[in-house]
Amino acid sequence: MPELQPLAQVPFDHSLHGDSIGLDCNHCHGGAHFQGHAYMPSKKDCMDCHRLPLTEKPGIEKLDSLLALSGEFPWNHKKVLPEHVVFHHGLHYAAGVQCSDCHRPLGGADYRGGLAKGKPYSMQMCVDCHARKTFKDKDFKPAAVYCGACHR
Amino acid sequence: MQALAGCRRFTPDMSTSGPSLEDFVNEVKLAVARSRSGFDLVQIPMPSALKTSGGSPLNRFGMAIDLDACNGCGKCILACMQENNVPLSSKERRASGQFMHWIEMRGGAPSMCFHCGNAPCEKVCPTGAASHTPDGLSTMMYKRCTGSRFCGANCPVGARKFNYDDAVKEGLSRRFNDQVPLRSKGVMEKCSLCLQRLQDSKHSHMAMLPGMEWRGAGVQTACAVACPKHAIIFGNWLDPTSPLVKAAKRRNIYAPAEVADLDPSVVYLRGNR
Repeated sequence: MPELQPLAQVPFDHSLHGDSIGLDCNHCHGGAHFQGHAYMPSKKDCMDCHRLPLTEKPGIEKLDSLLALSGEFPWNHKKVLPEHVVFHHGLHYAAGVQCSDCHRPLGGADYRGGLAKGKPYSMQMCVDCHARKTFKDKDFKPAAVYCGACHR
Repeated sequence: MQALAGCRRFTPDMSTSGPSLEDFVNEVKLAVARSRSGFDLVQIPMPSALKTSGGSPLNRFGMAIDLDACNGCGKCILACMQENNVPLSSKERRASGQFMHWIEMRGGAPSMCFHCGNAPCEKVCPTGAASHTPDGLSTMMYKRCTGSRFCGANCPVGARKFNYDDAVKEGLSRRFNDQVPLRSKGVMEKCSLCLQRLQDSKHSHMAMLPGMEWRGAGVQTACAVACPKHAIIFGNWLDPTSPLVKAAKRRNIYAPAEVADLDPSVVYLRGNR
């Protein structure tokens, strides 16, 4: 079990970091639009903005001090995808799938991984969309449904 | 450049424990020394698009083994074990000449799954774990396999290997490649034509060049890369620019008599070099 990072003491709010300030997911999660993995941001990515005085809220001092304590990679990430499954973020983005189509807890604003519309990810969710049973309002093309497309 | 922002990776959960590389080298030497007798080869035409329903008109991946170039060194076997995390065999199985190797030496040349277009193994799988991709690969979905071993019984060349032992528990397994999952006890396995390499190539192509057809250019299997004599050639039978088609053109193409009628994707080359 990796050691808890200093930044774990403050809750991260995606709604303060996304569209509201004009940031695209790919800005912090590099690779999300073109590569297989959507990587976690490094401290440098955080400091792009956080080296400036951003807000008058009292919590900011605590956050700044925790950021100063953090190592180069302040986020722990646990991969939820089993190793016999391949998921390429970039090709889904190229096919017109938005990050929030899969990364969105029900009714919540926080995009934290592991949940799609409030449910844990399952193969059924992938297959339903690949066979065009879900997201019917979207203009997706039918996608591969043979085993060897995603499993190894 | 977004595509280069790849410096941050997860730490893969790789176990460095397990047998040493030398153990694998020694087992390959033993297997090469115990090489079985060769196949009766019959001449076949160049493989074309899959005749089964759902076959791709653009891609059919396969391999050719040049019998005039191969000297039976066995480097392909070792490369395959490292690429696909193939485990060592237990002492008892080794003594009776049973190895987990996906590539075996038969008559001094490598033989592996022939990826028959009309695969008899897939027809008898009760769970659908053995299935075909539209681009001509006979694939195994290990999580679906319940170990009935019907496929192994129905394979005319015995290319399928059954995991009688829990290789991880018994310390026979080593994770050389974190991109390929380890197989558990009770699961059938065989040559996948380095499915993972094709998937990776296809997925990056679809992400970077959406709308353009992917023909698998540039992909090589581990055995083909490792061959010092360039006797193993991987490619796309339906792409005239593929090194496979170029190598097989004007050569005599052979397949073992057992699978010659089953539309194999992996063939042997001989003559007219």
